[in-house]
Amino acid sequence: MTWADSLRTAWAGMWSSKLRALLTMLGVIIGVAAVITLVAIGNGASQAVASRIETLGTNVLFVTPGPGTPFTTRQVAYIRDNTPVARVVVPLLNSGGQLSVGTSTLPAPVVGTTPGYQALGAIHLAAGRFLAPADITFNRDAVVLGANVSQALFGAGNPVGAHVSLLGQRFTVVGVLQPVGQGPGVSQDNSVFIPLPVAQFLLSTQNLSAVLVGASSPTAASQAQDLLTNLYTNRFGSASSVTVASEDQVLATLSATRATFTNLLAGTALISLVVGGIGIMNIMLVSVTERTREIGVRRAVGAVPEDVVLQFLLEAMVMSLTGGALGVGVGLVLVHLAPLILKTPAVFTPSAVVLAFVFSTLVGLVFGMYPAVKASHLHPIDALRHSG
Amino acid sequence: MIRVEHLTKDYPMAGGTVRALHEVSFEIPTGSLAAIMGQSGSGKTTLLNLLGGLDGPTAGRYWLNGRDVSDFGVVEWSRERNRTIGFVFQAFNLLPSMSALGNVELPLVYRRVAPRQRRQRAQAVLETMGLANRSHHRPTELSGGQQQRVAIARALVGDPPLLLADEPTGNLDAETGQEILDLLAALHRQGRTIVIVTHSAEVAARCEVVLQMRDGRMLPATAGADGGVAHDLG
Ligand SMILES: Nc1ncnc2c1ncn2[C@@H]1O[C@H](COP(=O)(O)OP(=O)(O)OP(=O)(O)O)[C@@H](O)[C@H]1O
Ligand SMILES: [Mg+2]
Repeated sequence: MTWADSLRTAWAGMWSSKLRALLTMLGVIIGVAAVITLVAIGNGASQAVASRIETLGTNVLFVTPGPGTPFTTRQVAYIRDNTPVARVVVPLLNSGGQLSVGTSTLPAPVVGTTPGYQALGAIHLAAGRFLAPADITFNRDAVVLGANVSQALFGAGNPVGAHVSLLGQRFTVVGVLQPVGQGPGVSQDNSVFIPLPVAQFLLSTQNLSAVLVGASSPTAASQAQDLLTNLYTNRFGSASSVTVASEDQVLATLSATRATFTNLLAGTALISLVVGGIGIMNIMLVSVTERTREIGVRRAVGAVPEDVVLQFLLEAMVMSLTGGALGVGVGLVLVHLAPLILKTPAVFTPSAVVLAFVFSTLVGLVFGMYPAVKASHLHPIDALRHSG
Repeated sequence: MIRVEHLTKDYPMAGGTVRALHEVSFEIPTGSLAAIMGQSGSGKTTLLNLLGGLDGPTAGRYWLNGRDVSDFGVVEWSRERNRTIGFVFQAFNLLPSMSALGNVELPLVYRRVAPRQRRQRAQAVLETMGLANRSHHRPTELSGGQQQRVAIARALVGDPPLLLADEPTGNLDAETGQEILDLLAALHRQGRTIVIVTHSAEVAARCEVVLQMRDGRMLPATAGADGGVAHDLG
């Protein structure tokens, strides 16, 4: 039997039970589509991470308390006193809240901070102003909206001077930020900024989430990092009670986490491909049993065992590869839909298609082999005598 | 054409072995029409399967066309069946998913004949079977006699010198059965060696070689009605 004939036979075998073939292929379709989509989402996130590295500037350090470490506003003065190289020291208290204007509401990350935050260089105002010293001194209920928040609550209009309700309090909008683009984790575009004392009061806490330290040069930043690391290790007796890391390092860690996450997702997707392969194997075993007599007839008219192997192996391959091709199609659609539905960037990579194809070929080969070999080992007489 | 010596076949069973053939020896000359007769269970099908290499003997030797094929492997037998042997089964054994034409083509597929040529050849053979206008029917859309003629067409398409038929009329009514036997007789006249397993003494009477079997043994050879002269069946 020639390859062309084997392929034709395999295709006819699949075509003769279309629904069953489709259901069998579903596992591979889902697996391949998942690989392509999840890898695209993972890549999208990683690229966003890379593009965000510039936003806060590379000379900024994050001083973050470990769990259970007391970390109050006093740390700001402590850090400022002990780190002469620091250009600016800014406290942060991160939280989440529900913003509402009239009937529209929006959940948003809430950042309690001081006017110094603007000096880090990441704030670009679209309208109004950022938090001012007087807002801190007088505990004013002032809020600065991220670009997306403003867009969602006020549309294209200028919200400066409008009132929003947040954490059970009525705030006055004093400024709106320019969009910086989609980023990892909490994006500045989706956040709102309020005075630190107001945030601490409303959340009834004295603690801070982090202190940002801005230096004037990379050298100064790394000096400050060494200094602060020693300082806190000595003070709390453990290197993990307070972490001092540059934004690059934080983002690199985040990026690595994302990569691990992407690999995990891709791994999960590959597992579903393997499950799809088991489905193919199952159906091929059923098919071999159903067509035992056909195998006997083919052997009687001159098929050698290899012909039988080829016929059933190709049928499994045709199924897994057709499933793979359909999966690539579904995957491409999902990659385009993901940013719209999941609001997360997705970057398509051709290598994911290659990976998916290689894998579905392997799946067809590996899981088709056993039923095919089993079929070829059938004794022609037993096969012909098989009832049904 | 066919010579076997001391052919023995044991089937391993749970409670010991079943000896289906017991040191069977005989000869069927080229171009003859031979009948294998005997009661049910006497080993006729077993013998025919051994002659066609669908099964291997436990002991004994077998010469086909002057060649010792006793030690043929699975692949050699597949080739041999493809080129020199045509099978006709009692149960027709057509592939239900294929048209009559597709079924008839099958041996040529395994002979790697190009699609166009094998289609032409299969169509030609179907025509000689009087099935020209049935070539695109599925087996289920054909009568029993038509199905058996398709099966014979499949056995003939590769032009094998030897035809093995196991009760080819067993599933057909008397009249249709007669038609099939006439067909086989005509093929015999064209020079083919034909071996038929049959229960009909009438059929056997027209055969040049009659092999009588009982309990896996071959009874002393008897010649056909008029001592080996070819005759039409029926
Ligand atoms: N696969 C098998 N396993 C065990 N025993 C078998 C097998 N095939 C045949 N036999 C036994 O071998 C003997 C001969 O069987 P065979 O099928 O050759 O008979 P037969 O002459 O063709 O009978 P029938 O006229 O009914 O078709 C029987 O006793 C049968 O039980
Ligand atoms: Mg029988």
